[in-house]
Amino acid sequence: MTMLFAIFRTAWRNLWRNYRRTLINMSAVGIGLFLVIVYNGLVAGIMGDAKNQLGPSGMGHVEIYAPEWRVKHNASLSLADPAALLARLNVPEGSRVDARIVSRGLATTAHGSQGVQIHGIDPATEPLVANYARDIRQGAALSAEDLHGILIGDTLAERLEVRLGQKIRLMVQRADGEMGADLFRVRGIFHSISPHLSRGLVLITNRAARELLGVGDVAHQIIIQLNRADAADAVAATLKASLGPGFDVVTYGELMPILKSMEGLVNSISAVMEIFVYLLVGLGIMNTMLMSVLERTREFGVLRALGTRSRQIVGEILAEAFWIATISVLVGSTLGLLLIWTGSHHALIDMSKSMGEGMEIGGSVLKTTFRTEFALLPAIQAAVMVYVLTLLVGLYPAWRVTKVQPAVALRAV
Amino acid sequence: MPVVQVKNVTKNYEDHGQVVTQALRGVDLNVERGEFMAIAGPSGSGKTTLLNLLGALDTPTSGSVLIDGRDLAGMTSRQLADLRRDRIGFVFQAYNLVPVLTAAENAEYVMQLKKVPAAERRKKVAELFAKLGLSALIDSRPPKMSGGQQQRVAVARAIVAEPAVVLADEPTANLDQATGRSLIEMMRGLNRERGVTFIFSTHDPMVLEQADRVVRLVDGKIASDQRQ
Repeated sequence: MTMLFAIFRTAWRNLWRNYRRTLINMSAVGIGLFLVIVYNGLVAGIMGDAKNQLGPSGMGHVEIYAPEWRVKHNASLSLADPAALLARLNVPEGSRVDARIVSRGLATTAHGSQGVQIHGIDPATEPLVANYARDIRQGAALSAEDLHGILIGDTLAERLEVRLGQKIRLMVQRADGEMGADLFRVRGIFHSISPHLSRGLVLITNRAARELLGVGDVAHQIIIQLNRADAADAVAATLKASLGPGFDVVTYGELMPILKSMEGLVNSISAVMEIFVYLLVGLGIMNTMLMSVLERTREFGVLRALGTRSRQIVGEILAEAFWIATISVLVGSTLGLLLIWTGSHHALIDMSKSMGEGMEIGGSVLKTTFRTEFALLPAIQAAVMVYVLTLLVGLYPAWRVTKVQPAVALRAV
Repeated sequence: MPVVQVKNVTKNYEDHGQVVTQALRGVDLNVERGEFMAIAGPSGSGKTTLLNLLGALDTPTSGSVLIDGRDLAGMTSRQLADLRRDRIGFVFQAYNLVPVLTAAENAEYVMQLKKVPAAERRKKVAELFAKLGLSALIDSRPPKMSGGQQQRVAVARAIVAEPAVVLADEPTANLDQATGRSLIEMMRGLNRERGVTFIFSTHDPMVLEQADRVVRLVDGKIASDQRQ
């Protein structure tokens, strides 16, 4: 124990023989770790928002349809007794579920027309799964019994030149194949960060939608939003097994394959970036340690002449690497965690001025104010990686110096 | 039994299998315990090579070297390191103290390698430093010491672990005459009082004058071996 203490004490003192070099070395390691932690936090935040937070798009991590509905969008292809179906669903605690009637149609006013997606909603549950349903900038939300009220997006309102209280005509193809139409009064104008939804989505009550489409107590879409998108595949598998073949159960990954691909791409880029950072950090440390060690070839020769074994020399050099790693990891990870903690509460990057509030990618809506995700485990993993790397690269300089014969080392300048 | 026995030792330095230098050619030498001996000779005579062999820093091409009865032949590098730790003390031309250790820590170094308890180490070092007039330097680091002080600490380091033999390679080369004389007198005192065996490699006439025995090397061979 005494020898071990002496080794670490000597190593600590040796670090500060050239304090500039040591500080630069530690800074390189610390900054490398800081970058890895912050980058991973940012990517997790952005991708986490994209897949975990489906509120902006109103989509589900798992969605349920009648077979073939997603292909044909026929009003007659529906899910009977949605309330009973919702009650049967075995989903994780904390999940949010909702049922909608969905149809495509045409919204017209005296000033123009626009193809729209019509959602027949439950005004009580829809705001839980769709941000726009609670971000009503003018007017008010629908009441459940309202058969002629409509909520439209602010972009649609501008396009059709319609204000609160004015009427919009909706035309649809009914379940029986005939054309259906009705007039609706604008009760509220909502805002969505998605330009597509703001321009192309209208909300009416599910009762109103049933009358418009000529359907009974049905739904076309069940959406399930989970707390963690990672659980989607497992939940979908459970639901498929419990509901049986008469239901089309899909995950967000199947509905938004681009998002899944993007996730994979981002993870690959993250991995490459990490490897790159580790490589640079490792080479930097090795170079500096090699210089520091080779400068002391004669000194190590003296120590070996005095009877120090090669492994003790290696131990001393690794102890120096240990100190470099310890301080660098402490500083780098503290600063990194501080930044991602701050970034998880306040947007780290704000691109809303140039890109608008949201951008649509592959069906998902990404906010353009990016926050980090604060998570200790990835930071700990990165810190351990840096630690191990620093010790590993210290092995080469240590090995080099022990290969020099003591008699030769003593002749070194 | 002599503390050092060198039997018909040759040492060749090779480059790509070709002998470039024959540093030692059939050297025979015995050093008795308590001797104060100098190895002299012109540059290239083989002094440093011989000292390296005596210090188990190198191994002979042929012949044998025994330190305190132990033959270096066939020893692994670990065994050689242990032999140096236990049996040999070194004083180098350039003082070679570890600059980040205090004088006391430098002196304790070999005892620490030998796992001597801390209290015993400190006691021995304190006593020796007091004897050598180094007590004021116990907590000083080498950069703060003069050349003479550093060399005295190096001598303390060499002998405090009670080796069988102390090898000193040009110990006065970097010192002024007065300091060098003082150092050699100190080592002579240790030799007389404690029976420490010293073997010097030196050009310094002042050291040669003090030695009991001078072995002269010329072209890798012992040209003369005289007791004074």
